[in-house]
Amino acid sequence: MTLFKGQLAPANQVHDFHPAVGLCGLYLVVPVPEGGLTLSDDGKIAILQLKNLEIIDQPTWPAFRAEATLARMDIKIVWKAKGERVRYSDPQKQFRVDGFKAIAQLEATVEVPSIGFSWKSDPLETSKANFALIGDEVNGKYYTP
Amino acid sequence: MNLEKKIPQVRNFSRRGFLTSGLILAATSALRLPGRAEAVTASEGPEKFTYDGSTDPYPIPWLDKNGSHNQPAGSGNEPSSIYHFKGKVARCSDFTGMGTDNKGIRLAFGSPTTDNAFMQGEYFTGRAVHKGTFAHL
Repeated sequence: MTLFKGQLAPANQVHDFHPAVGLCGLYLVVPVPEGGLTLSDDGKIAILQLKNLEIIDQPTWPAFRAEATLARMDIKIVWKAKGERVRYSDPQKQFRVDGFKAIAQLEATVEVPSIGFSWKSDPLETSKANFALIGDEVNGKYYTP
Repeated sequence: MNLEKKIPQVRNFSRRGFLTSGLILAATSALRLPGRAEAVTASEGPEKFTYDGSTDPYPIPWLDKNGSHNQPAGSGNEPSSIYHFKGKVARCSDFTGMGTDNKGIRLAFGSPTTDNAFMQGEYFTGRAVHKGTFAHL
């Protein structure tokens, strides 16, 4: 999550909160504990809600070796499928996605204790994502053309 | 729809993850709190060897053109960050939103790099099938 003072432009970036890159190479990925993800029975609505997540703040990310400070985050993201279906299949890259375009909104709080900084987003309903999808995917060994 | 109200407390899930945090703490604390960094790394010791390979999910190899096993979210792009994966996924990016810091300053969040996803299902790594839920934040 990138924060800006003023317009959303790289020159105005003041914080960038994300998990660290794992030793296995996974990029900004964290495990979700049981209860952290709730899916509707039809799979068209998902709520991801994580609390007290250990992350880092790298204000100059993605600059190489950007200074990192320990931080914490609470975040809630809601995806709701829209009517339009999406289907991607790529035999060369060996993946297939079958799902729906979606609406996504989020709310979050972040804290950087060592510098006495905290920030809280406006309510979830006030946010908007210009791209979102929800669906099912297979890749790698699970992919069949 | 039955939506649970429980909000889990999240910690790094594996010892590897904890070590990652420890390394970051060491890196940042080297400048800020050197004594604390030394205590954290010293108490952890070396990581144990896993004989049949890691149980951590495997990143998607062909995404490595930027050296980060990642690509922007977008139409036609693969939403998962995990290779040999089968399950439910969702991804979103390019947010616009606002918030307020503890000094009352209004700060916007968003841009294409505010990019989030979840992956829930089965993945194959270390010669075995595993199940799990992961988030890209």
